[in-house]
Amino acid sequence: MIEIYHLYHQYGDDQMVLRDINLTIDRGEFIFIVGASGAGKSTLLKLFLREIKPSRGTIKIFGRDLTRLKNGEVPYLRRNIGMVFQDFRLLQDRSVYENVAFTMRVTGTAAREIRKRVPLTLELVGLKDKLFKKPSELSGGEQQRVSLARAIVNRPAMVIADEPTGNLDPATSLEILNLLQEINIRGTTVIVATHAQDLVDRLQKRVICLDQGYVISDRERGVYLHAR
Amino acid sequence: MHARSLLYFLGEALKSAVRHGWMSIASIAVVSITLLILGSFMVINYNVALLTEDIKDQMQIVVRMDDEADEQAHRALQRALVAHPDLVEVRFVSRDEAMERLKRQMGDQAFLLAGYAEQGKNPLRDSFELRTHIPEDIPRVAAELQEYAGVAYVDYGRGVVEPLFQFTGIVRWLGLAFMAGLAVTAIFLISHTIRLTVYIRRKEIMIMKYVGATDWFIRWPFIFEGLMLGFVGALMPLVVIYYSYLAAAQWMQLNIRFISLVPAADIMSELIRVLLILGVVLGVLGGSISVRRFLKA
Repeated sequence: MIEIYHLYHQYGDDQMVLRDINLTIDRGEFIFIVGASGAGKSTLLKLFLREIKPSRGTIKIFGRDLTRLKNGEVPYLRRNIGMVFQDFRLLQDRSVYENVAFTMRVTGTAAREIRKRVPLTLELVGLKDKLFKKPSELSGGEQQRVSLARAIVNRPAMVIADEPTGNLDPATSLEILNLLQEINIRGTTVIVATHAQDLVDRLQKRVICLDQGYVISDRERGVYLHAR
Repeated sequence: MHARSLLYFLGEALKSAVRHGWMSIASIAVVSITLLILGSFMVINYNVALLTEDIKDQMQIVVRMDDEADEQAHRALQRALVAHPDLVEVRFVSRDEAMERLKRQMGDQAFLLAGYAEQGKNPLRDSFELRTHIPEDIPRVAAELQEYAGVAYVDYGRGVVEPLFQFTGIVRWLGLAFMAGLAVTAIFLISHTIRLTVYIRRKEIMIMKYVGATDWFIRWPFIFEGLMLGFVGALMPLVVIYYSYLAAAQWMQLNIRFISLVPAADIMSELIRVLLILGVVLGVLGGSISVRRFLKA
């Protein structure tokens, strides 16, 4: 699903942020990308979304070479990738329902389909009763669930979460990760970039550790490995 | 664009205009005020133009005939004048007719002319009254006619005509320059107001991009919103100008009767066209220009 060969990335003339990355991620995997701040996690996620192009090397997603993808094709790539952010990024002036429905409208889904699928998705993340609340009326955990619902409502092949538990307490964090696992069990590839060592260690998934732009370890059923 | 998308974009534009009520009011106010000033200036300009046209229409060249000129010279001159490409109207006024006219103009004092009325004592000359296609050509054509055979002298209000043309020329250019300046100011103000709305909504645009919205999908609601705000913004000055103009016309009719204003219906049909198109164009331009920066990010 994702193939990366000899990928380097550098912002301007500054230091290399990613160096010689080689990775293969298959359909249906659950992956943690861990590392200290500045290790290159966010840059890697930005490359997945084609927010930026690599300075060197190849990155293929769904078989498409992102270095050759035209700008006009980027939206169609992103429709297959659900994004979850640390700060939720919800539209504060719209209801929970609207925040999720919005994503479907963007992709031109018929209204009838939207009315059917949005409540179902919100039920899946446990927000069946909060359809018409505004984000400000929800707890952090609930807001992150809305953001999860938004990420999966279009049934993307892959969900990418950037520090999804960064703003949440440990119990809520675990709930969110459990939800991500459920999503994964339904067949969606899940990639989580995180600092949360205890959660990573507890879930026993594939863990890719980055340090100063290098992949220093990549193990199935791995643990959070700190840089030496 | 599908009908469904069109409805969606219109709905989004409307919702957004309502949701960001204060910004919408600010945008409408900017459009309204600039178009109000622009519209008022257009009204003044139309009327100045009408007035100067009126004055120009009354301007003519009068060719006075030489007393020695005989019937043949008369006819030759008349043929030459009728054939002249710059002249539209050639009217012969005999010396007797000129005397009658003078009497009418003098009214109560006409008795003073009694001694001149008799045959052979009329001091006036036969003349031709001429109008040119373009009033501004009058001085040139007059100078040309001076050289024709049988012509004693040519009259056209020398010293009055030239400054008048200069003045109306200046008024017209000033008006155009002022209107162009206002249009530029309006685009600047509107695009800034809309840019501020877009700035407030940059988060929404960013999220739309993350979930896979195409640039046009993001752009359309902003364009429609600009269109709506521009349209509404143009309606207000139209209403204000219409009623003010009616009041002004009424006042003028009562107080300054010799100046006739362009009829309200004529001026409004022109203003509706210009202001609505301008409002809509300004809104659409403002909307699409200001969203562009955030699409690139």
